[in-house]
Amino acid sequence: MASTLYMDRNSPIHRLNPVTKLVILVTLIVIVFAIPFWWVAMGVVVLVIVPAAVVSGCGGRLTRIALTILLPIVVVLFIVQGLTFPGGRTALWEWGPLALTTEGLLFALGIGSRIVCLVLASILFVLTTHPGDLLSALTERGMSPKFSYIISSTLQLIPAFQDRANGILLAQQARGLVVGKGLRGRISAMMPLLAPLVLGMFTDVEERATAMEARGFGSTAKRTALTPVPDTTAQRIVRWAMPVVALAAIILPLATGAL
Amino acid sequence: MFSTPAKTDDSHRMRNTILIAVGAVVIVATYLYLVIGQPTEVAESSTSQASLIAIAGYVIGAILLAAGSIHRLPTATIAMIPVAIALNIVVGQLVSILGLPVYLDSIGTVLVAALAGPAAGVVTGILTNVIWGLTLSPLALPFAVVQVVIGVMAGYAARYGMFRRFYLAPIAGAITGIVAAVISAPIAAFIFGGATGGGTGALVGAFQAMGQSLLGATTLQGLLSDPLDKAITFTIVVVILAALPSRFRQRFPFVRQYRVFGKSAPAVTSKSASVTETEG
Repeated sequence: MASTLYMDRNSPIHRLNPVTKLVILVTLIVIVFAIPFWWVAMGVVVLVIVPAAVVSGCGGRLTRIALTILLPIVVVLFIVQGLTFPGGRTALWEWGPLALTTEGLLFALGIGSRIVCLVLASILFVLTTHPGDLLSALTERGMSPKFSYIISSTLQLIPAFQDRANGILLAQQARGLVVGKGLRGRISAMMPLLAPLVLGMFTDVEERATAMEARGFGSTAKRTALTPVPDTTAQRIVRWAMPVVALAAIILPLATGAL
Repeated sequence: MFSTPAKTDDSHRMRNTILIAVGAVVIVATYLYLVIGQPTEVAESSTSQASLIAIAGYVIGAILLAAGSIHRLPTATIAMIPVAIALNIVVGQLVSILGLPVYLDSIGTVLVAALAGPAAGVVTGILTNVIWGLTLSPLALPFAVVQVVIGVMAGYAARYGMFRRFYLAPIAGAITGIVAAVISAPIAAFIFGGATGGGTGALVGAFQAMGQSLLGATTLQGLLSDPLDKAITFTIVVVILAALPSRFRQRFPFVRQYRVFGKSAPAVTSKSASVTETEG
């Protein structure tokens, strides 16, 4: 599985059970979305995600990936909502129909801090969790092995798919297909590429299905794991405590009337 | 015979039907709550739990639908889904690199739904966004429900013969696009504040400047791009399907049972046990 973002390090974060990390990730997301103040999301980033990233040794990679994903979105968010937010009243600066409003900027800050938190936490999770470990841990807990098969098989298939697409493109060019310049040229180059690609990939499927059936893939019997995923009592306690924390985060703002 | 149906007893069938029904209800209820139940004050404040409800309702609903659907699928369909997901992701990525004004990230979902039914479309749809989240950007995950809806709509479009004629497919695609735009609008509004990308963000800003609410602006933005995008997707799929050999297409029980391509195949007259197994 070469195509995920996973980074092989030997840190305490990497050694955690994948399900524990997943439960913590979901709890963090619930917290920042349930208590909708920007300082909550920023607090989670500073107090939880940044220390975890430093411990895991993936900080540099995390920063680079997160910047390429977040920068365009956050910039657009602040420009669009700062200038055109429907609930904006206090104008800081006006120009024709556009007005930079305090409400708009606060809205962008609220939404933006949550997106930053969501993206950083999820990428850190993906960077520190081997997809194979995650899938076998989830299958042990009752997820259908069909999901595991589809996900891990796709992760292996994507690079092969890209190679095959390149091969077909070269073959079509050798046959005289011209990849035109501009929008229309590129679109018209898509069809002679897609039809052989799809046909080729789907005809492989039949053989694979027969091979899988012969090895009992469709069986509904309970399976045992070949490589059990390590787990500790402390992590089991954390996994039970986290849903309680998440529930508290949902109820607390409603009960105290903060919203 | 291409497929070997898994033997599911009645209790499993019941459980799967309940999962699908609850999932569908959760998605519809989430949408109705966000659009009708909570008017302007929610749309105009970031300090509300609307975004929690949007993300939780849609993600839970999509997971329930997928969990209920996957057990209906025979191994032959399961083996096909990774190819379809790879097709979604590779073409979707290619299109975004080329800078085309469409997404085209659901060709595989529509293809699988047309060949194997709505349940296969659901599983392909949700796992596309899960894998997109694992490999490229976690921002795809909140939108998983949109792909799920596209899978369901494409499956039923195939069932009712929309892939029999070339001119019917874009119509089915445009209708799917309208539903997709409506469903995805609360996600774009309450989770992303309208800023899902450069071009779309500018459109949302323009609609807001014209006096639309945030949700209204993201809905209009979706209605501008999604029907066109899905009409193109469905057209590409119908062209690909026509290019595939008939022998390959007629191998699918779903295709034979509902005569997706209009030709009466021998299996239609003598329904075998596996035919009823894959119905969506």
